[in-house]
Amino acid sequence: MSEIALRRSIYDYLPQWVAAPMVATAIVAIFLVAPTEATMGDAQRIVYIHVSVAWTALASFVIMAASGGMYLVRRNLAWDHWSRAALEIGWLCCTLTLATGSLWAHSAWNTWWTWDPRLTTAFVLWAMYSAALVLRSGIDDPHRRARIGAVVAIVGLLDVPLVIMATRWFRGIHPKSPHMEPTMQAVLATSVVCFTAFFAVLLLMRRGQFQLAEELDDLQEEFAS
Amino acid sequence: MAKKLYYMVAKDLLSECRALRTWPAMLLLGVVVAMMFAMQMDLPPERQRQIAGSLLWLTIFFAGSLALDRSFAAEREEGCWEGLFCYPVSPTAVYLGKLFVNVVALTALECVLIPLFAILTDVPLLAHPVPIIAIAMLGNLGLAAVGTLLSAVANGAPACGSRQSSYLLPLLVLPAVIPLVLGAAEATRLAIEHDFSTDWWRWMQLLACFAVVFVTAGIVLFEFAIED
Repeated sequence: MSEIALRRSIYDYLPQWVAAPMVATAIVAIFLVAPTEATMGDAQRIVYIHVSVAWTALASFVIMAASGGMYLVRRNLAWDHWSRAALEIGWLCCTLTLATGSLWAHSAWNTWWTWDPRLTTAFVLWAMYSAALVLRSGIDDPHRRARIGAVVAIVGLLDVPLVIMATRWFRGIHPKSPHMEPTMQAVLATSVVCFTAFFAVLLLMRRGQFQLAEELDDLQEEFAS
Repeated sequence: MAKKLYYMVAKDLLSECRALRTWPAMLLLGVVVAMMFAMQMDLPPERQRQIAGSLLWLTIFFAGSLALDRSFAAEREEGCWEGLFCYPVSPTAVYLGKLFVNVVALTALECVLIPLFAILTDVPLLAHPVPIIAIAMLGNLGLAAVGTLLSAVANGAPACGSRQSSYLLPLLVLPAVIPLVLGAAEATRLAIEHDFSTDWWRWMQLLACFAVVFVTAGIVLFEFAIED
Protein backbone atom coordinates (compact mmCIF):
# COMPACT_ATOMS: atom_id res chain seq x y z
CA MET A 1 0.00 0.00 0.00
CA SER A 2 2.78 2.40 1.01
CA GLU A 3 4.70 1.45 -2.13
CA ILE A 4 1.75 2.59 -4.27
CA ALA A 5 1.40 5.85 -2.30
CA LEU A 6 5.13 6.64 -2.49
CA ARG A 7 5.17 6.38 -6.26
CA ARG A 8 3.17 9.62 -6.55
CA SER A 9 5.46 12.56 -7.17
CA ILE A 10 4.85 16.26 -7.72
CA TYR A 11 5.03 15.69 -11.51
CA ASP A 12 2.01 13.35 -11.32
CA TYR A 13 -0.08 16.40 -10.47
CA LEU A 14 1.22 18.48 -13.39
CA PRO A 15 -1.85 17.89 -15.63
CA GLN A 16 -4.15 19.06 -12.83
CA TRP A 17 -2.02 22.18 -12.27
CA VAL A 18 -2.22 22.96 -15.99
CA ALA A 19 -5.94 22.23 -16.39
CA ALA A 20 -7.19 24.22 -13.37
CA PRO A 21 -6.02 27.66 -14.64
CA MET A 22 -7.24 26.72 -18.13
CA VAL A 23 -10.78 26.16 -16.83
CA ALA A 24 -10.57 29.41 -14.88
CA THR A 25 -9.44 31.20 -18.09
CA ALA A 26 -12.39 29.70 -20.02
CA ILE A 27 -14.88 30.79 -17.35
CA VAL A 28 -13.45 34.34 -17.27
CA ALA A 29 -13.54 34.49 -21.10
CA ILE A 30 -17.16 33.23 -21.26
CA PHE A 31 -18.56 35.53 -18.57
CA LEU A 32 -16.34 38.63 -18.79
CA VAL A 33 -14.70 38.79 -22.24
CA ALA A 34 -17.41 37.53 -24.61
CA PRO A 35 -19.85 40.28 -25.63
CA THR A 36 -23.53 39.89 -24.84
CA GLU A 37 -25.46 38.64 -27.85
CA ALA A 38 -28.05 41.10 -29.19
CA THR A 39 -31.06 38.76 -29.54
CA MET A 40 -30.62 36.10 -26.87
CA GLY A 41 -28.73 38.11 -24.26
CA ASP A 42 -26.72 36.28 -21.59
CA ALA A 43 -28.40 32.91 -22.38
CA GLN A 44 -26.23 32.71 -25.52
CA ARG A 45 -23.15 32.17 -23.30
CA ILE A 46 -24.38 28.57 -22.80
CA VAL A 47 -23.16 27.89 -26.35
CA TYR A 48 -19.49 28.14 -25.31
CA ILE A 49 -19.89 25.36 -22.74
CA HIS A 50 -22.38 23.37 -24.84
CA VAL A 51 -20.09 23.13 -27.90
CA SER A 52 -17.09 22.20 -25.71
CA VAL A 53 -18.84 19.33 -23.86
CA ALA A 54 -20.54 18.09 -27.07
CA TRP A 55 -17.19 17.84 -28.84
CA THR A 56 -15.63 16.08 -25.81
CA ALA A 57 -18.54 13.60 -25.67
CA LEU A 58 -18.00 12.63 -29.31
CA ALA A 59 -14.22 12.40 -28.85
CA SER A 60 -14.73 10.15 -25.77
CA PHE A 61 -16.93 7.85 -27.86
CA VAL A 62 -14.15 7.47 -30.44
CA ILE A 63 -11.52 6.89 -27.69
CA MET A 64 -13.79 4.30 -26.05
CA ALA A 65 -14.26 2.33 -29.28
CA ALA A 66 -10.61 2.66 -30.38
CA SER A 67 -9.23 1.49 -27.03
CA GLY A 68 -11.89 -1.26 -26.95
CA GLY A 69 -10.66 -2.41 -30.36
CA MET A 70 -7.07 -2.33 -29.08
CA TYR A 71 -8.12 -4.49 -26.11
CA LEU A 72 -9.63 -7.09 -28.45
CA VAL A 73 -6.36 -7.20 -30.41
CA ARG A 74 -3.83 -7.05 -27.52
CA ARG A 75 -5.86 -8.49 -24.60
CA ASN A 76 -4.18 -6.01 -22.26
CA LEU A 77 -6.44 -4.59 -19.52
CA ALA A 78 -4.58 -1.27 -19.71
CA TRP A 79 -6.55 -0.57 -22.93
CA ASP A 80 -9.78 -1.35 -21.12
CA HIS A 81 -8.91 1.22 -18.44
CA TRP A 82 -8.80 3.85 -21.20
CA SER A 83 -12.07 2.57 -22.66
CA ARG A 84 -13.82 2.53 -19.26
CA ALA A 85 -12.56 6.00 -18.32
CA ALA A 86 -13.67 7.37 -21.73
CA LEU A 87 -17.10 5.77 -21.20
CA GLU A 88 -17.60 7.52 -17.86
CA ILE A 89 -16.24 10.89 -19.01
CA GLY A 90 -18.22 10.61 -22.28
CA TRP A 91 -21.43 9.86 -20.39
CA LEU A 92 -20.86 12.91 -18.16
CA CYS A 93 -20.16 15.16 -21.19
CA CYS A 94 -23.15 13.79 -23.09
CA THR A 95 -25.45 14.46 -20.11
CA LEU A 96 -24.05 18.01 -19.88
CA THR A 97 -24.56 18.43 -23.65
CA LEU A 98 -28.25 17.47 -23.35
CA ALA A 99 -28.76 19.68 -20.28
CA THR A 100 -27.03 22.78 -21.71
CA GLY A 101 -28.64 22.20 -25.13
CA SER A 102 -32.08 22.03 -23.54
CA LEU A 103 -31.47 25.27 -21.59
CA TRP A 104 -30.28 26.99 -24.76
CA ALA A 105 -33.20 25.62 -26.82
CA HIS A 106 -35.69 26.98 -24.30
CA SER A 107 -34.22 30.42 -24.71
CA ALA A 108 -33.70 30.30 -28.50
CA TRP A 109 -36.60 28.18 -29.78
CA ASN A 110 -39.00 28.57 -26.84
CA THR A 111 -39.05 24.80 -26.26
CA TRP A 112 -37.07 22.54 -23.90
CA TRP A 113 -36.74 19.82 -26.53
CA THR A 114 -37.20 19.31 -30.26
CA TRP A 115 -36.43 16.35 -32.52
CA ASP A 116 -33.65 18.16 -34.30
CA PRO A 117 -30.96 15.88 -35.89
CA ARG A 118 -28.14 16.92 -33.57
CA LEU A 119 -30.31 16.74 -30.47
CA THR A 120 -31.55 13.32 -31.51
CA THR A 121 -27.98 12.18 -32.22
CA ALA A 122 -26.86 13.44 -28.80
CA PHE A 123 -29.77 11.62 -27.17
CA VAL A 124 -28.97 8.35 -29.01
CA LEU A 125 -25.30 8.73 -27.99
CA TRP A 126 -26.37 9.27 -24.37
CA ALA A 127 -28.65 6.19 -24.50
CA MET A 128 -25.76 4.09 -25.85
CA TYR A 129 -23.34 5.36 -23.19
CA SER A 130 -25.93 4.64 -20.49
CA ALA A 131 -26.63 1.11 -21.79
CA ALA A 132 -22.88 0.40 -21.89
CA LEU A 133 -22.54 1.64 -18.27
CA VAL A 134 -25.41 -0.61 -17.11
CA LEU A 135 -23.97 -3.56 -19.05
CA ARG A 136 -20.48 -3.13 -17.59
CA SER A 137 -21.78 -2.79 -14.04
CA GLY A 138 -23.30 -6.30 -14.24
CA ILE A 139 -20.03 -8.09 -15.01
CA ASP A 140 -17.43 -8.90 -12.35
CA ASP A 141 -14.72 -10.64 -14.35
CA PRO A 142 -12.43 -7.86 -15.71
CA HIS A 143 -11.53 -9.60 -18.98
CA ARG A 144 -15.13 -10.51 -19.75
CA ARG A 145 -16.19 -6.94 -18.91
CA ALA A 146 -13.47 -5.54 -21.18
CA ARG A 147 -14.39 -7.85 -24.07
CA ILE A 148 -18.14 -7.25 -23.89
CA GLY A 149 -17.60 -3.51 -23.37
CA ALA A 150 -15.35 -3.35 -26.44
CA VAL A 151 -17.93 -5.10 -28.68
CA VAL A 152 -20.69 -2.70 -27.56
CA ALA A 153 -18.40 0.33 -28.01
CA ILE A 154 -17.54 -0.69 -31.60
CA VAL A 155 -21.21 -1.35 -32.45
CA GLY A 156 -22.04 2.10 -31.04
CA LEU A 157 -19.35 3.83 -33.07
CA LEU A 158 -20.52 2.11 -36.30
CA ASP A 159 -24.04 3.29 -35.55
CA VAL A 160 -23.18 6.98 -35.11
CA PRO A 161 -22.86 7.90 -38.86
CA LEU A 162 -26.15 6.06 -39.59
CA VAL A 163 -27.91 7.93 -36.77
CA ILE A 164 -26.56 11.25 -38.09
CA MET A 165 -27.72 10.43 -41.65
CA ALA A 166 -31.18 9.26 -40.56
CA THR A 167 -31.89 12.17 -38.25
CA ARG A 168 -30.56 14.75 -40.75
CA TRP A 169 -32.90 13.45 -43.46
CA PHE A 170 -35.77 13.31 -40.98
CA ARG A 171 -35.88 17.00 -40.00
CA GLY A 172 -33.59 19.77 -38.87
CA ILE A 173 -33.65 23.27 -37.31
CA HIS A 174 -30.28 23.25 -35.50
CA PRO A 175 -27.97 26.15 -36.47
CA LYS A 176 -25.34 24.63 -38.81
CA SER A 177 -22.61 27.27 -38.69
CA PRO A 178 -23.31 30.04 -36.22
CA HIS A 179 -22.36 33.51 -37.42
CA MET A 180 -20.24 35.01 -34.65
CA GLU A 181 -18.17 38.11 -34.32
CA PRO A 182 -14.36 37.60 -33.93
CA THR A 183 -14.33 38.01 -30.10
CA MET A 184 -17.07 35.40 -29.76
CA GLN A 185 -15.18 33.04 -32.08
CA ALA A 186 -12.01 33.49 -30.00
CA VAL A 187 -13.91 32.80 -26.75
CA LEU A 188 -15.50 29.71 -28.31
CA ALA A 189 -12.09 28.41 -29.42
CA THR A 190 -10.60 29.14 -25.97
CA SER A 191 -13.51 27.42 -24.27
CA VAL A 192 -13.22 24.31 -26.49
CA VAL A 193 -9.44 24.03 -25.91
CA CYS A 194 -9.67 24.62 -22.13
CA PHE A 195 -12.60 22.25 -21.51
CA THR A 196 -11.01 19.59 -23.72
CA ALA A 197 -7.84 19.85 -21.58
CA PHE A 198 -9.94 19.64 -18.41
CA PHE A 199 -11.78 16.50 -19.55
CA ALA A 200 -8.51 14.99 -20.82
CA VAL A 201 -7.11 15.40 -17.29
CA LEU A 202 -10.25 13.81 -15.83
CA LEU A 203 -9.76 10.94 -18.30
CA LEU A 204 -6.13 10.50 -17.24
CA MET A 205 -7.04 10.56 -13.55
CA ARG A 206 -9.89 8.07 -13.94
CA ARG A 207 -7.67 5.75 -15.99
CA GLY A 208 -5.05 6.00 -13.22
CA GLN A 209 -7.67 5.03 -10.63
CA PHE A 210 -8.63 1.95 -12.64
CA GLN A 211 -4.96 1.05 -12.96
CA LEU A 212 -4.46 1.36 -9.19
CA ALA A 213 -7.63 -0.64 -8.49
CA GLU A 214 -6.32 -3.45 -10.69
CA GLU A 215 -2.94 -3.39 -8.93
CA LEU A 216 -4.74 -3.52 -5.58
CA ASP A 217 -6.84 -6.49 -6.70
CA ASP A 218 -3.68 -8.29 -7.83
CA LEU A 219 -2.01 -7.61 -4.45
CA GLN A 220 -5.07 -8.84 -2.56
CA GLU A 221 -5.12 -12.03 -4.64
CA GLU A 222 -1.40 -12.47 -4.02
CA PHE A 223 -1.81 -12.09 -0.26
CA ALA A 224 -4.86 -14.35 -0.22
CA SER A 225 -2.94 -17.13 -1.97
CA MET B 1 -20.28 -24.12 -44.50
CA ALA B 2 -23.74 -24.32 -46.17
CA LYS B 3 -24.36 -27.73 -44.62
CA LYS B 4 -23.30 -26.54 -41.16
CA LEU B 5 -25.51 -23.50 -41.54
CA TYR B 6 -28.42 -25.76 -42.54
CA TYR B 7 -27.97 -27.90 -39.42
CA MET B 8 -27.76 -24.80 -37.18
CA VAL B 9 -30.97 -23.36 -38.64
CA ALA B 10 -32.77 -26.74 -38.63
CA LYS B 11 -31.81 -27.30 -34.95
CA ASP B 12 -33.28 -23.98 -33.85
CA LEU B 13 -36.41 -24.16 -36.02
CA LEU B 14 -37.12 -27.77 -34.99
CA SER B 15 -36.62 -26.95 -31.32
CA GLU B 16 -39.00 -23.96 -31.60
CA CYS B 17 -41.63 -26.04 -33.49
CA ARG B 18 -41.49 -28.77 -30.84
CA ALA B 19 -41.44 -26.61 -27.71
CA LEU B 20 -43.28 -23.48 -28.99
CA ARG B 21 -41.54 -21.43 -26.32
CA THR B 22 -40.95 -18.08 -28.03
CA TRP B 23 -42.95 -17.56 -31.20
CA PRO B 24 -46.48 -17.79 -29.69
CA ALA B 25 -45.49 -15.29 -26.96
CA MET B 26 -43.89 -13.00 -29.57
CA LEU B 27 -46.97 -13.11 -31.83
CA LEU B 28 -49.33 -12.57 -28.92
CA LEU B 29 -47.32 -9.58 -27.65
CA GLY B 30 -47.30 -8.14 -31.19
CA VAL B 31 -51.09 -8.54 -31.52
CA VAL B 32 -51.77 -6.98 -28.08
CA VAL B 33 -49.44 -4.01 -28.72
CA ALA B 34 -50.98 -3.50 -32.20
CA MET B 35 -54.47 -3.52 -30.66
CA MET B 36 -53.42 -0.96 -28.04
CA PHE B 37 -51.84 1.33 -30.64
CA ALA B 38 -54.87 0.99 -32.94
CA MET B 39 -57.17 1.89 -30.03
CA GLN B 40 -55.27 5.15 -29.53
CA MET B 41 -55.31 6.01 -33.27
CA ASP B 42 -58.72 7.65 -33.36
CA LEU B 43 -57.48 10.22 -35.88
CA PRO B 44 -58.42 11.53 -39.33
CA PRO B 45 -57.34 9.10 -42.14
CA GLU B 46 -54.44 11.28 -43.40
CA ARG B 47 -52.96 11.51 -39.85
CA GLN B 48 -53.37 7.72 -39.45
CA ARG B 49 -51.43 7.17 -42.70
CA GLN B 50 -48.63 9.38 -41.37
CA ILE B 51 -48.11 7.52 -38.07
CA ALA B 52 -49.09 3.93 -38.97
CA GLY B 53 -45.57 3.09 -40.22
CA SER B 54 -43.90 4.28 -37.00
CA LEU B 55 -46.31 2.36 -34.77
CA LEU B 56 -45.99 -0.78 -36.93
CA TRP B 57 -42.19 -0.74 -36.66
CA LEU B 58 -42.22 -0.05 -32.93
CA THR B 59 -44.57 -3.02 -32.46
CA ILE B 60 -42.27 -5.20 -34.58
CA PHE B 61 -39.28 -4.10 -32.49
CA PHE B 62 -40.90 -4.73 -29.09
CA ALA B 63 -42.42 -8.09 -30.00
CA GLY B 64 -39.37 -9.13 -32.04
CA SER B 65 -36.99 -8.44 -29.15
CA LEU B 66 -38.55 -11.46 -27.39
CA ALA B 67 -37.35 -13.73 -30.23
CA LEU B 68 -33.95 -11.98 -30.37
CA ASP B 69 -33.42 -12.47 -26.64
CA ARG B 70 -34.47 -16.13 -26.64
CA SER B 71 -32.09 -16.96 -29.51
CA PHE B 72 -29.22 -17.13 -27.00
CA ALA B 73 -31.08 -17.27 -23.68
CA ALA B 74 -32.34 -20.74 -24.66
CA GLU B 75 -28.76 -21.85 -25.26
CA ARG B 76 -27.79 -20.80 -21.72
CA GLU B 77 -30.09 -23.42 -20.20
CA GLU B 78 -28.91 -26.92 -19.30
CA GLY B 79 -25.43 -26.51 -20.72
CA CYS B 80 -26.53 -26.02 -24.36
CA TRP B 81 -24.11 -23.06 -24.69
CA GLU B 82 -21.06 -25.25 -23.97
CA GLY B 83 -22.47 -27.97 -26.24
CA LEU B 84 -23.03 -25.51 -29.08
CA PHE B 85 -19.39 -24.45 -29.16
CA CYS B 86 -18.16 -28.06 -28.89
CA TYR B 87 -19.59 -28.68 -32.38
CA PRO B 88 -17.05 -28.41 -35.19
CA VAL B 89 -18.61 -25.17 -36.50
CA SER B 90 -17.10 -21.72 -36.71
CA PRO B 91 -18.61 -18.82 -34.68
CA THR B 92 -19.54 -17.25 -38.04
CA ALA B 93 -21.76 -20.25 -38.87
CA VAL B 94 -23.40 -19.98 -35.43
CA TYR B 95 -23.98 -16.24 -35.95
CA LEU B 96 -25.37 -16.65 -39.46
CA GLY B 97 -27.60 -19.56 -38.35
CA LYS B 98 -29.04 -17.54 -35.47
CA LEU B 99 -29.40 -14.52 -37.75
CA PHE B 100 -31.38 -16.56 -40.29
CA VAL B 101 -33.71 -17.96 -37.61
CA ASN B 102 -34.31 -14.45 -36.25
CA VAL B 103 -35.10 -13.15 -39.75
CA VAL B 104 -37.64 -16.01 -40.13
CA ALA B 105 -39.16 -15.14 -36.73
CA LEU B 106 -39.50 -11.45 -37.63
CA THR B 107 -41.00 -12.36 -41.03
CA ALA B 108 -43.60 -14.56 -39.30
CA LEU B 109 -44.37 -11.66 -36.96
CA GLU B 110 -44.83 -9.25 -39.89
CA CYS B 111 -47.09 -11.73 -41.74
CA VAL B 112 -49.47 -11.31 -38.80
CA LEU B 113 -48.89 -7.65 -37.87
CA ILE B 114 -49.03 -5.94 -41.28
CA PRO B 115 -52.50 -7.33 -42.24
CA LEU B 116 -53.67 -6.76 -38.64
CA PHE B 117 -52.59 -3.10 -38.74
CA ALA B 118 -54.29 -2.70 -42.13
CA ILE B 119 -57.55 -4.17 -40.77
CA LEU B 120 -57.55 -2.29 -37.45
CA THR B 121 -56.61 1.15 -38.77
CA ASP B 122 -57.94 1.18 -42.36
CA VAL B 123 -54.49 2.31 -43.53
CA PRO B 124 -53.81 0.81 -47.00
CA LEU B 125 -50.64 -1.06 -45.97
CA LEU B 126 -51.29 -3.84 -48.48
CA ALA B 127 -52.19 -1.59 -51.43
CA HIS B 128 -48.56 -1.79 -52.67
CA PRO B 129 -47.28 -5.10 -51.30
CA VAL B 130 -43.92 -5.23 -53.17
CA PRO B 131 -42.40 -2.05 -51.62
CA ILE B 132 -43.72 -3.06 -48.17
CA ILE B 133 -42.14 -6.53 -48.57
CA ALA B 134 -38.83 -4.91 -49.62
CA ILE B 135 -38.89 -2.59 -46.57
CA ALA B 136 -39.73 -5.54 -44.30
CA MET B 137 -36.91 -7.70 -45.73
CA LEU B 138 -34.23 -5.03 -45.30
CA GLY B 139 -35.62 -4.02 -41.90
CA ASN B 140 -35.66 -7.64 -40.71
CA LEU B 141 -32.09 -8.21 -41.82
CA GLY B 142 -30.81 -5.07 -40.06
CA LEU B 143 -32.80 -5.66 -36.87
CA ALA B 144 -31.81 -9.33 -36.72
CA ALA B 145 -28.12 -8.52 -37.44
CA VAL B 146 -27.85 -6.06 -34.51
CA GLY B 147 -30.22 -8.06 -32.29
CA THR B 148 -28.37 -11.37 -32.75
CA LEU B 149 -24.98 -9.84 -31.95
CA LEU B 150 -26.23 -7.88 -28.94
CA SER B 151 -28.28 -10.85 -27.71
CA ALA B 152 -25.03 -12.82 -27.55
CA VAL B 153 -23.45 -9.86 -25.70
CA ALA B 154 -26.36 -9.53 -23.23
CA ASN B 155 -26.49 -13.26 -22.59
CA GLY B 156 -22.73 -13.44 -22.19
CA ALA B 157 -22.70 -10.49 -19.78
CA PRO B 158 -24.04 -11.88 -16.47
CA ALA B 159 -21.66 -14.18 -14.65
CA CYS B 160 -24.26 -16.94 -14.60
CA GLY B 161 -27.47 -17.56 -16.49
CA SER B 162 -29.58 -15.26 -18.59
CA ARG B 163 -31.81 -13.49 -16.06
CA GLN B 164 -30.37 -10.05 -16.78
CA SER B 165 -30.42 -10.39 -20.56
CA SER B 166 -34.19 -9.82 -20.79
CA TYR B 167 -33.84 -6.23 -19.59
CA LEU B 168 -30.37 -5.60 -20.99
CA LEU B 169 -31.24 -6.48 -24.58
CA PRO B 170 -33.87 -3.78 -25.28
CA LEU B 171 -31.57 -1.26 -23.51
CA LEU B 172 -28.74 -2.15 -25.87
CA VAL B 173 -30.70 -2.72 -29.08
CA LEU B 174 -33.19 0.17 -29.06
CA PRO B 175 -30.62 3.02 -29.24
CA ALA B 176 -28.66 1.07 -31.88
CA VAL B 177 -31.68 0.50 -34.15
CA ILE B 178 -33.05 4.05 -34.03
CA PRO B 179 -31.82 4.78 -37.61
CA LEU B 180 -33.39 1.52 -38.79
CA VAL B 181 -36.77 2.14 -37.12
CA LEU B 182 -36.75 5.73 -38.41
CA GLY B 183 -35.82 4.62 -41.95
CA ALA B 184 -38.37 1.79 -42.05
CA ALA B 185 -41.13 3.99 -40.63
CA GLU B 186 -40.46 6.80 -43.12
CA ALA B 187 -40.19 4.38 -46.08
CA THR B 188 -43.47 2.73 -44.99
CA ARG B 189 -45.19 6.14 -44.73
CA LEU B 190 -44.04 7.09 -48.24
CA ALA B 191 -45.11 3.67 -49.62
CA ILE B 192 -48.57 4.09 -48.06
CA GLU B 193 -48.82 7.51 -49.75
CA HIS B 194 -47.63 5.92 -53.03
CA ASP B 195 -44.68 8.32 -53.11
CA PHE B 196 -41.71 6.42 -54.58
CA SER B 197 -39.58 9.48 -55.26
CA THR B 198 -35.87 9.89 -54.41
CA ASP B 199 -36.84 10.25 -50.72
CA TRP B 200 -38.18 6.69 -50.63
CA TRP B 201 -35.05 5.35 -52.34
CA ARG B 202 -32.84 7.27 -49.91
CA TRP B 203 -34.53 5.59 -46.92
CA MET B 204 -34.20 2.21 -48.67
CA GLN B 205 -30.47 2.90 -49.17
CA LEU B 206 -30.16 3.69 -45.46
CA LEU B 207 -31.88 0.39 -44.57
CA ALA B 208 -29.59 -1.51 -46.97
CA CYS B 209 -26.51 0.29 -45.61
CA PHE B 210 -27.56 -0.52 -42.02
CA ALA B 211 -28.03 -4.20 -42.89
CA VAL B 212 -24.66 -4.47 -44.68
CA VAL B 213 -22.74 -2.65 -41.89
CA PHE B 214 -24.21 -4.72 -39.07
CA VAL B 215 -24.15 -8.12 -40.80
CA THR B 216 -20.43 -7.49 -41.45
CA ALA B 217 -19.88 -6.22 -37.88
CA GLY B 218 -21.73 -9.26 -36.55
CA ILE B 219 -19.54 -11.69 -38.51
CA VAL B 220 -16.36 -9.93 -37.29
CA LEU B 221 -17.36 -9.25 -33.66
CA PHE B 222 -19.46 -12.33 -32.82
CA GLU B 223 -16.37 -14.38 -32.01
CA PHE B 224 -15.41 -11.86 -29.31
CA ALA B 225 -18.96 -11.67 -27.93
CA ILE B 226 -19.22 -15.41 -27.22
CA GLU B 227 -15.68 -16.12 -26.09
CA ASP B 228 -15.55 -17.55 -22.53
